[in-house]
Amino acid sequence: MADLEPILAVATKLAAPFDLETMLAEVADAAKRVLHAERSSVWLYEREADELVLRVAADLAPVRIKAGTGLVGACARGREIINVPDCYADPRFDPSTDRRSGFRTRCLLTLPLVDHKGLLVGVMQVLNKTGGAFDAADEALGAVLAAQCAVALQRTLMTAQLVEGERLRRELEMAHAVQMSTLPAAMPAVAGYDVYGTFIPADICGGDTYDLALIEQGLLVVLGDATGHGIAPALSVTQMQAMLRMALRMGAELETAYLQVNNRLAEILPGDRFITAFIGLLEPAAHRLRFLSGGQAPILCYKAARGACVEYPPTSFPLGAMALPRSRQAVAIDLEPGDVLALLSDGIYEYCDFGEERVRELLAAHHGKSAAEIAAAVLEAVKAFAAGAKQEDDMTVVLVKRAPAASRVFMRDLDSLEKIFAFAAAEVDEELRPAVELALEELFTNIVRHGRQGEAPVRIDIGPIAGGVEVSLVESEADPFDPTRAPEVDTSLPLERRRPGGLGIHLVRKVVDSIEYRYAPESRTGRTTFRKTKGKADVQD
Amino acid sequence: MFKIDYGAGGAVVLSGRLDAAQSPVAQAFLDRVQGAVTLDLAGLEYISSAGLGVLLKTHKRLSAAGGKLRLAGASRHLLDIFRYSGFDQIFEIVPSS
Repeated sequence: MADLEPILAVATKLAAPFDLETMLAEVADAAKRVLHAERSSVWLYEREADELVLRVAADLAPVRIKAGTGLVGACARGREIINVPDCYADPRFDPSTDRRSGFRTRCLLTLPLVDHKGLLVGVMQVLNKTGGAFDAADEALGAVLAAQCAVALQRTLMTAQLVEGERLRRELEMAHAVQMSTLPAAMPAVAGYDVYGTFIPADICGGDTYDLALIEQGLLVVLGDATGHGIAPALSVTQMQAMLRMALRMGAELETAYLQVNNRLAEILPGDRFITAFIGLLEPAAHRLRFLSGGQAPILCYKAARGACVEYPPTSFPLGAMALPRSRQAVAIDLEPGDVLALLSDGIYEYCDFGEERVRELLAAHHGKSAAEIAAAVLEAVKAFAAGAKQEDDMTVVLVKRAPAASRVFMRDLDSLEKIFAFAAAEVDEELRPAVELALEELFTNIVRHGRQGEAPVRIDIGPIAGGVEVSLVESEADPFDPTRAPEVDTSLPLERRRPGGLGIHLVRKVVDSIEYRYAPESRTGRTTFRKTKGKADVQD
Repeated sequence: MFKIDYGAGGAVVLSGRLDAAQSPVAQAFLDRVQGAVTLDLAGLEYISSAGLGVLLKTHKRLSAAGGKLRLAGASRHLLDIFRYSGFDQIFEIVPSS
């Protein structure tokens, strides 16, 4: 039993926590020493490929053979020791390796490495026993050694997998943190608007991002989605956002900022990565949102007056795909009271093929709710639709909703004035009320005086804007009549020459911030809109 | 609710809201006044161009006969309206006491 000692020494050594490379070298070395061989090699079995892999050196590609091929492959398939005492006399031996290396293999002992659960871990091979061939005692000893080595290797392989898993987990955690850091901490408050964004990452984090931020040019609205999963796309969208904010902060126009960000991304992104992104700027006072969209679609805007969505196509290809020679003109969306711009990432549209039609229906059904409630309704519907199917991609919802106007219709009669004042009292702040009431009365009485009998009633919309209200008087089935074109009144005339006429619109101009008239010939609708905000003194003479 | 009537001191007291719907009521009342008349506007919350028209028409009629219309006790809001319309140059405006 003199041979037991090296075995025990090996057992102790193999219990140490080696990395895989070291463990393979240790096992090969142990086999050589215990079995008194000139050379040894350890092949690992890869189940998925059904191949045996020999790592020759760190900087060389490993040698691969199919299980079942050659002596090593046969050993793996049969899971039995193969003892070849005279190689050149055995047809299973492939002498080509010897020819390449100049080494002469006399005899071979090939042992399967099977762990204690019966799993094949690999194959161990020893060459040229010192002073003879491997005998039955070597086979028995080799079997004991092989069992030990198999367990040690299996343990090392599992550890390596765990370490790799941990590394991936950490990377995903980091990617998640990077992604989250780009999102707005709180929703910006925009008078007359209700904006909301939410981001629900998939298990494997994707590259979604969104932004809702008040900057000098207005409200910045962004939805971006970088291709791929993990930390790289998360970093790419973060880069995009940083560059965009920087360009806009330096006063760039939307078009210029987009062009610069696109061209810079085209330079720095890896060839197979790009970012689909909607980049928009809302001027809240003008209710106009201008946007450029690099491959981000569909862009849906629910129009309250129409009761349906309008869809806008993207303006160009995804950001970073290639450089743009010149900037493209942004597309403008005019938001009317109650309209909802809905930007949803493809993680929603593609989640079990949820699709655009369902989103349109949801917007039509829930547009009257707050932006946060609409987003919740969409996400709930997606979840119900998926019925427990795994979420494969990030889901992001960005909503910009213009506050709906309070709306009432009034008969074309001076008796309606009392009801109009009651309506204004309910909708307008006390501070603004005298001016709004005066403007309403003057404009309404104008319509009553100039309109024909039996015409449709007049609709009045009162909606919030920053620091005040926007009021519209809408006449349908009407001839064009622009009250703002009334001639100026000379208030300095002496008494004899003063006439009461025309004074109304003159007063309106004095007490409101702005007034405009628009006529739509196709619907024969005239709309007079005025705005009044706090803190703005009436126009002085 | 708009009201117009003689007050205790002989002035014509206007109160409430003088809008286009109420201006015929004011006009009918003021068509009967003569001489130099003071309008007590302390209780008048609101006036539009229709109400201003009533004041202008009445003032013109009284002026032709040597009389006039004085406006007293107007709120800041009403004073603004008088100023925007140039009425501060036509009427004698008596500051609120």
